[in-house]
Amino acid sequence: MTTKALTFPRIFPRPTATTGIWSWIGTVDHKRIGTLYGITSFIWFIVGGLEALAIRAQLSTAESELIGPETYNQLFTMHGTTMVFLVIMPLSAAFFNWLIPLQIGARDVAFPRLNALSYWIFLFGSLIINFSWLTGDAPNGGWFGYAPNSGATFNPGLGMTYWIVGLNVLGIASIAAGMNFIVTILNMRAPGMDMFKLPVFTWMTLVTSVLIVLALPILAVAGIQLQTDRIYGTHFFNSLGGGDPVMWQHIFWLFGHPEVYILILPAMGIVSEVLPTFARKPLFGYAFVIFAGIVIGFMGWFVWSHHMFTVGLGPAANTAFSVSTMLIAVPTGVKIFNWLGTLWGGSIRYNTAMLFSVSFIAMFTIGGLSGVIHASPPTDAQQQDTYFVVAHFHYVLVGGALLGIFSGIYFWWPKMTGYLLNEKLGITNWALLMIGFNIQFAPMHWLGMDGMPRRIYTYAENMGWETSNAAASVGGFILGLGVLFFMINVWYSRRNKVEAGNDPWDGRTLEWSTSSPPPPHDFDEIPQVKYRDDFWFKKYPETISEYYHDDHDQAVPSGAQDDLEHEEVTNISEGSDGHGDNHGAIHLPDMSYYPFILGVGVAGMGAGFLSNNAVLFIGVGVLVWGLLGWSMEPVNDPDPEHH
Amino acid sequence: MHRISKLSLPVRPTLFLLIPLVLALLVACTPDNHQSTFGTAGPVAKDQADLFKFIFWISAVVFVVVEAAVIYIAIRYRRRSDSDKLPHQTHGNTKLEITWTLIPVLILAAIAVPTLTDIWAQQSHVPEDQGEVLNVEAIGHQWWFEFRYPDQEVIVSNELHIPVGRPVAFKLESQDVIHSFWVPKIAGKVDMVPLNDNYMWMIGDEVGEYYGQCAEFCGIAHAHMRFRVFVHEEEDFQAWVDGMHTAPDTPLAGSSEASGKNLFAANCSSCHTIDSTAPGSYAREISAQQARWNGWVSDIENSGIVSAPNLTHFGTHSTIGAGLKDLNKTTLEQWITDPSSIKIGTRMQKHAAVYDTDNNKAKLTASEISDIANYLLSLKPGSTPSGEVANNSASVDGESLFTTNCSSCHSTGDDTIVGPGLAGIADRAGTRVAGQSVDAYLRESIINPNAFIVDGYPAVMPGWEQLGTESIEALVTYLKTLD
Repeated sequence: MTTKALTFPRIFPRPTATTGIWSWIGTVDHKRIGTLYGITSFIWFIVGGLEALAIRAQLSTAESELIGPETYNQLFTMHGTTMVFLVIMPLSAAFFNWLIPLQIGARDVAFPRLNALSYWIFLFGSLIINFSWLTGDAPNGGWFGYAPNSGATFNPGLGMTYWIVGLNVLGIASIAAGMNFIVTILNMRAPGMDMFKLPVFTWMTLVTSVLIVLALPILAVAGIQLQTDRIYGTHFFNSLGGGDPVMWQHIFWLFGHPEVYILILPAMGIVSEVLPTFARKPLFGYAFVIFAGIVIGFMGWFVWSHHMFTVGLGPAANTAFSVSTMLIAVPTGVKIFNWLGTLWGGSIRYNTAMLFSVSFIAMFTIGGLSGVIHASPPTDAQQQDTYFVVAHFHYVLVGGALLGIFSGIYFWWPKMTGYLLNEKLGITNWALLMIGFNIQFAPMHWLGMDGMPRRIYTYAENMGWETSNAAASVGGFILGLGVLFFMINVWYSRRNKVEAGNDPWDGRTLEWSTSSPPPPHDFDEIPQVKYRDDFWFKKYPETISEYYHDDHDQAVPSGAQDDLEHEEVTNISEGSDGHGDNHGAIHLPDMSYYPFILGVGVAGMGAGFLSNNAVLFIGVGVLVWGLLGWSMEPVNDPDPEHH
Repeated sequence: MHRISKLSLPVRPTLFLLIPLVLALLVACTPDNHQSTFGTAGPVAKDQADLFKFIFWISAVVFVVVEAAVIYIAIRYRRRSDSDKLPHQTHGNTKLEITWTLIPVLILAAIAVPTLTDIWAQQSHVPEDQGEVLNVEAIGHQWWFEFRYPDQEVIVSNELHIPVGRPVAFKLESQDVIHSFWVPKIAGKVDMVPLNDNYMWMIGDEVGEYYGQCAEFCGIAHAHMRFRVFVHEEEDFQAWVDGMHTAPDTPLAGSSEASGKNLFAANCSSCHTIDSTAPGSYAREISAQQARWNGWVSDIENSGIVSAPNLTHFGTHSTIGAGLKDLNKTTLEQWITDPSSIKIGTRMQKHAAVYDTDNNKAKLTASEISDIANYLLSLKPGSTPSGEVANNSASVDGESLFTTNCSSCHSTGDDTIVGPGLAGIADRAGTRVAGQSVDAYLRESIINPNAFIVDGYPAVMPGWEQLGTESIEALVTYLKTLD
């Protein structure tokens, strides 16, 4: 080809380092980006956890003066914001990054540089929000930011501006990542892997990514409106100027409820991989589990006003949202029954990953049932904004999402690092976490029914809430100890490496077929896929007919077992870069600094909204530089050896 | 390999899986707690609690079945050895799938029926067939509750009085941020949303004192935004209403209370009304409260005025600081001295000129604070028969009329409170409108203030025609003496 590409003047050479800080800043490797997501969000997990412990310390006794209301309000605002946006979402993103290409037999995501950009914007967004702690003016209007309390009139200072600017920046990262994974899953699957052969985790990632792409722009709309309300004095939500505070709630929860499923579906995907592996059985009702996930993702759009049963929307609206909320329990129940069906008749091996997954079923059930209870508006009139709700969503987000994520960490750690996490420390981690979690959150159901509102920094001695609060605080610290054991485990296991091998758990999906950790190009040969759980059936071809024998939709491919042995690897499509693989050389996209530069530009704009327009314009300048450089930079520089 | 399957670990979850259930069962044990949603004292809360119990027990059955299944399966199918024998590789069972889709649908249908019935029973109309409806406007302020009885023309703060067994229809409002009105034992909460008035009703069917609390996060003092509800026998309620229209006895000259009255008028009366007993005082307090709000919101940082509880008959209150502490001399003095020692974030400390900006303490001596406390505690319905206005004695005293009605917003010196200071008003009044006498200008300013708003001041002063000609003339005479 002789076409002369438009070029953009380069200030520095394209990164080539494979180690050191520049290798991370320039990386476009999905595995390294996944690692960055994982480490960053784990650090925020510690921060958010410490915020939670400070909250529990304050509430452990009545009329405590440990922390004043100002700090307390900042703590619960930042705890919620951190755990939702900086921990569970990006921890899920860490798994998406690491696993999706490996599970679908690809060498990277569809848009590797966009993937890097997502990470950098996420990092800078999280830093913007948390930088507020250093100024002493941390956000204090709640992670839900209800107007007009979040507006400049009632909340002067920069605190909530940090919050909304940070969220707007983070939203960009999430939307870009969601797009990337949708395209990756739809377009980059290995030959033969049709949609109903996808691993369930990949399916749940797809549903989650669709939700992200549809939901986060809604938050962006509300966020930009609130940002202009705060910075430029517009009146979208400012009731003093005639703005509508209820509109904020509608827009926020129209994002916020799908967000709940964005948080939980990846964990459901993880559990759907772990349970079959350790039960040594395929997932029971694969199609139903996936369909239930899709239905949850769809119905999640019609339930947002159950966050608003006491706002005064009237009996008709409450009726509609009550019924839709109850209905969403049905596909959730279907998933739980299918997981039990998976375990039924299995040969279950227990280790830390499996214990976390089985605990997920047990704990998530509790969160689901308490959800049904306050899906009923008359009942919810007593529970709304009380500790009952706090208990409910912690059973969903800790008992669900976090247990799922821990299960995933123990399950895939050997794949990601090549060595195993210690089991004794792992089980201690699990046991402390489970005991602490239940002691912390079970009494909160009771506190809520006993009339303790949320978000109060203290309570009087004569309310009868002291014992339960003291128990909850003790539980919180036990839970914290459990997390500490996880960190000890990581440290210990790194020092005393036990080689994992490629397939330590007798896995079922493609990621277990490559080396641990995988090479930069993931697979030496792109796999040819014939079955669901393809890797398992390659290992145990005698079970193929057992799995498919009574499935009328999908007859056993004739001579499947013979084919497997003699499959020729030909015509492997190579995805986005268009380079064929026929010559043995594996082309990966070259590294690039532009995602980082573009991310700095976005961060600079955010900082500009918080400081002054000069910074804003510098941010825009860097952003334009990043965009132009990126768009004129070829995916791969010409290979010098061929010239 | 990692053989830990023999530790029979799955048994352990059984123990703490039971914790939530056991704790949930404890729920029924302490209905006496002040905000327990189980010790109900009204039909709304009772229906809500009954519905909760109904759904709870269904959920409890589902909980036990699912958790028992988890535990049973987890133990029953644990790997007993390292045998390589694979379990049957089943892919699923469509009949089972249909079954466990339909069963939850049926269970949820059973929950939905009473849910929808209760929604429409509670949210669509006030049950007017259950007694004469009492109307109350409840207003959430940062961080206290104001209750207005439009039909009785009574205003009270933080302590709501209702008759037993009669429906009370609430109009819920807020000017500032969103609050939520909640008396757990009598009715579930409904939010108070600015620009979006809400309506709810409740019936208290047991005489007694009940706790209420703001349930929507509303800023720094959210935890301390509480209130009480007193459910009275019908005749006691009527007596309370009559009392609210009976002026307190005037303190004896030279008494601590009399000194307190003057101190209160000088330092507190810009924001706190104490005499909403007279005819017309209801409307006046509503416009005064609006004026305070306008004054605060137009200059949030430096305003000398802020929305504040009406303290009429404060001596009859049982709590202080929006349901925070029992009211007595000690707590009241502590409150006056340093409100934030009881309630961090309260606005009065920031906006009232009587508080030192440096150390936040009141710029008053201990004996002055004691006098104010004594005076406030003495505010109770007096011996004057209801319906008559105490201050309306034979000789109309312009100065006391001014102190009562005007000093919230106008100083007699040069200081601006909300409206301009009135020193030398007589000299200015004659020059403002050509051809209008001093008397005519002052009279018009009192009756129809918006006719001559002085530049730079908000148009918030209400008209005072209801004072009557005699009182207005007395005021005009008094104003002319200011220099």
